[in-house]
Amino acid sequence: MKAVFIVYNQAQTEKVEYLFEKLKIRGFTRWTDLTGRGSVDGPPHMNTHTWPEQNTARMAVMEDETVKAVLEGIKKLDEENTDVGIRAFVWDIVDYY
Amino acid sequence: MSIYGNAVKRPITTIMIFVALLVMGGYSLNKLPIDFYPDIDFPAISVITTYAGASAADIETNVTRTIEDGLNSVGNLKNITSTSRDNMSIVVCEFEWGTNLDEASNEMRDGISFIETFLPEEVEKPMLFKFSSSAMPVLFYGVTADESFEAIANILDEKVVNPLNRIDGVGSVGLMGAPGREIQVDIDPRKMESYNISVEMIAGVLNAENLNLPAGNLEMGMMDYPLRVKGEFPSSDVLDDIVLASFNGQTVYLSDVATVRDTIRDTSLDERLNGKTGMRIVIQKQSGANTVQVCQDINAMMPELIKSLPDDIEITTFWDSSLFISESINNLSNTLMYAAIAVVLVVLFFLGRWRATFIVILTIPISLIVSFIYLYISGSSINIIALSSLSIAIGMVVDDAIVVLENITKHVERGARPREAAIYATNEVWLAVIVTTLTVVAVFLPLTLIGGMTGELFRPLGYIVTITVVTSTISAITLTPMLASKMMKLRKKPEKVRAISYDNIIGRFLNSLDGFYSRTLKLALRFRWGTLIIAFVIFLLSMMMAGGMGFQFMPEADQGSMTAAIELQTGLRVDETTKVARKIDAFIEENMPEAKFYYTSSGSDDQGGFMSLFMETGSHRININFTLTDLETRNRNVWDLSNMLTEYLETIPEIVTFDVVPNGGMGGTTENNVVLEIYGYDFETTSLIANALADSVSTIEGATNVNVSRDPSKPQLQIVPDREKMAQHGLNTYTLANSVRNRVEGPYMSRYREEGEEYDIVVRFVEEERSSLSNLNDIALMNMQNQVIRLGEVADIEEHWSPPNIERKNRERMVTVSITPYKVPLSVMAEQVQAKINQMDIPSDVNLQMGGAVEDMQESMKDLMLLLLLSLILTYLVMASQFESLKMPFIIMFSIPFAFTGVVLAHVVTGTTMNVISMVGGVMLVGIVVKNAIVLVDYINLTRARGVELKEAIVESGKSRLRPVLMTSLTTILAMLPLALSTGSGSEIWSPMGIAVIGGLIFSTIVTLVLVPVVYHMMLRKSDARKVKTEYDFMNGTGEGNPENN
Repeated sequence: MKAVFIVYNQAQTEKVEYLFEKLKIRGFTRWTDLTGRGSVDGPPHMNTHTWPEQNTARMAVMEDETVKAVLEGIKKLDEENTDVGIRAFVWDIVDYY
Repeated sequence: MSIYGNAVKRPITTIMIFVALLVMGGYSLNKLPIDFYPDIDFPAISVITTYAGASAADIETNVTRTIEDGLNSVGNLKNITSTSRDNMSIVVCEFEWGTNLDEASNEMRDGISFIETFLPEEVEKPMLFKFSSSAMPVLFYGVTADESFEAIANILDEKVVNPLNRIDGVGSVGLMGAPGREIQVDIDPRKMESYNISVEMIAGVLNAENLNLPAGNLEMGMMDYPLRVKGEFPSSDVLDDIVLASFNGQTVYLSDVATVRDTIRDTSLDERLNGKTGMRIVIQKQSGANTVQVCQDINAMMPELIKSLPDDIEITTFWDSSLFISESINNLSNTLMYAAIAVVLVVLFFLGRWRATFIVILTIPISLIVSFIYLYISGSSINIIALSSLSIAIGMVVDDAIVVLENITKHVERGARPREAAIYATNEVWLAVIVTTLTVVAVFLPLTLIGGMTGELFRPLGYIVTITVVTSTISAITLTPMLASKMMKLRKKPEKVRAISYDNIIGRFLNSLDGFYSRTLKLALRFRWGTLIIAFVIFLLSMMMAGGMGFQFMPEADQGSMTAAIELQTGLRVDETTKVARKIDAFIEENMPEAKFYYTSSGSDDQGGFMSLFMETGSHRININFTLTDLETRNRNVWDLSNMLTEYLETIPEIVTFDVVPNGGMGGTTENNVVLEIYGYDFETTSLIANALADSVSTIEGATNVNVSRDPSKPQLQIVPDREKMAQHGLNTYTLANSVRNRVEGPYMSRYREEGEEYDIVVRFVEEERSSLSNLNDIALMNMQNQVIRLGEVADIEEHWSPPNIERKNRERMVTVSITPYKVPLSVMAEQVQAKINQMDIPSDVNLQMGGAVEDMQESMKDLMLLLLLSLILTYLVMASQFESLKMPFIIMFSIPFAFTGVVLAHVVTGTTMNVISMVGGVMLVGIVVKNAIVLVDYINLTRARGVELKEAIVESGKSRLRPVLMTSLTTILAMLPLALSTGSGSEIWSPMGIAVIGGLIFSTIVTLVLVPVVYHMMLRKSDARKVKTEYDFMNGTGEGNPENN
């Protein structure tokens, strides 16, 4: 089991939802109206007058084999327009209830 | 969820809400009456008191003063003026604008009831008269007739007046100049005296004969009969056979001593329509009725009514107030349509996409229609102020939608789905959009707070622009994102640019414009001081130009009507006056083909009538009303014509004074005149000064219609009884006065009735026996012993001169000299008049004051300056809180003075004079101009915050914001262009506003684009350098906060 943490420009919400639906991932946790900045480039999403955009984050715990499909989808999504911004990070799940 | 999120997620609800608005607006629009001005009534109430037989001086001391004292304590009173004439006192209380006149009239009634006991006993109860513009006639018909003329009153009454009265909204229909029937009993005094009869006896007999009286009931058998004595004259013929007395056993009939004539009234009024005998039908509307509607209904009914009349009666529309109104409104509606088209074209030009343009321009009808709901709820009408407000607003309502749509487009082009893009893009800009709207509101809302007449006129403008702009903002953050989410599509970049396409032609042009601007900006930034100095010099020059320009109060519109009030030698007989009138008629006929109708009336209608409230009549006065042909079809305007008439009237020796008023007549605009008020108790001194002043100001170039308000003294015949002689003959003053009156004027008589109508019976001497001094001296007075004494034996007849009217203002006697400038601005005329006054030697007990339109103008200027200050403060407050900075608003406001430079230049270029309307335009500019600079400065701030160096940030932002700035400016400028250019009816009133806004906006846009970045650079260069030394430099151990440094 792995946890996938996806942070993305909130303007991508519907596309991420579509991805989850396509891959039949049911469970997730979502945080909305987040701020942050990428480590390399791209505009910060700070919810300020200067950088008005905002992020949404989504954490989903899934079987190991699904993770690859998710990351592939995210990569495709990002390549549509790298300025908009989406990233995914994967954790190992050690134990769960 | 946010308002825009909801709007996007529930599109049906959003559409329904806006459809509901449209439906309500459409309903309101349908119900709104059409009028020229908003419903503003001059806040004045008059008190009219009659005191029969008193001279002007008596009236002044006994009636006018007492009433003035009683009214002095009424609240909100601005001025109290009065005119005391023979028999009549008129006190006018003028209140501050916006006073509740119902409360005021109650207070006035209280005040009068308090002093009523101090008035002489014979004085009639003072009458309150509230002047209301809705009481002004809305329609005049001219009627001419040949053989039917004598019976015309009856014919018209039955066939025209009554049917018209039944029309909804018609208040009253009156006939003016209609000949009335009258039974005249012309007594021959010689015959009468030879039978030993007096006028009083004849009157007594006639009154006693002309009676129907009930005489009780008679019970007879089973019936109860009411008894009636029927003595009323069945026809006028029976008068001849009335027995007056018995003389030496012989019966004396009325026909023995008098001639009885059943004829038309001996009027002292001569009325001509286009030189032919005629009369007028005057129609007033009910208060609150729709003028245009009423006039249309009447005009629709008239042809049918005319058909039912005898062939020789001709009815023509003489003056129709609805024509000017509906023409002006149509004109403005067209203007509004052109403005809308201009805005659509500008939006399409810059956006280059049909769908986007459609979404943006949909805000126009929505925001405009909401203002109709406001007008309907506030009980107002569609008028020129409302429509020009819409013209101003139409260019501004698209701005917010453009900003929102632009951001949505940006997101869509980056790949977001339209639905999401709509929500998140709106989220990013909605606050900024609201704040820019607030700056506009900060300027327009104070318009609703100013006082005076300007306030009354421009309150709707303030409300309408505020409401439309706020609605447009709401629509921009709900409807616009919703529509964008449904209609926007990701546009694929075309692989090959077509030769004739938006991108190839307009896109290229706009790109080269961007390049040109960024080069200019770089140049300006290199020579900062030079740019600043040039700007400053231009501003100073324009202000110097403004100093030399004249000011008008209100622009005057050529309303195609004109009046002339002409006064001949006082005391002149009507026939003589009429001769002069015919001479003027001939001149008009020959030289003024522009006069469609002209109506000449000389003399006065002894029946009085309400028209005497609006114009002065008298046997020596001629009043002429003109209706001119359509503005488009004539070469000379109303001022040229009035000037021509003035020049002609000056050549007629019989004329003492005259007053030609262009646009005069019913419901005309305020006249641009200078009124000098001369206060002083002594008639002779003040009259002397007034006449001397009038003479000296008439030498000023452009001074026309110089008029002194105090009429020259009027000759009067005074019968001075010799009491001793009278006493010897057993006479007293009362019997003497009565006898003279009964013989010259006729005693009180019962009336002759026929077919439900009543006609006067007038018993007096035949005209030849009451037209000379010797006739008067011959009047026989009878004493108790029935002896005949001639008037000449007991009284002397003397000729005296007395002032016919005494005017007072604020309880001081006053005489005014009024001057109408021709082709000279009002303010220039006022200055020259002041110079003439300064040359004159004025006694210390006489006070001079400037009044009239000059006074109104100065008051309005003061109000407008205050308004400007208030607007500036409010916009500063809004901007300071928006930028969270005290410096930024200051930089932005640098563009405001140049808006005024633009206003001045626009007036110079178009050759128009400044007036209150163009100044209101100037104040409005504050809000519009600031908006542009905000867009620019905000973006420079943003770019700098994103880490770009100051100079580069300025150039980059400038380049990127050029299009939005040009777009918002151009929408407003082009929307106002039809307003400024229009030449139709009434355009003179609103075009100054268009000229002012266009001039100011063009100039200030250029300044915003060049000067504001320069000032920004100058003011922030230093603070940028300071930032390097930061407080938090603890890492290097050198910062202020480092303990090692302390």
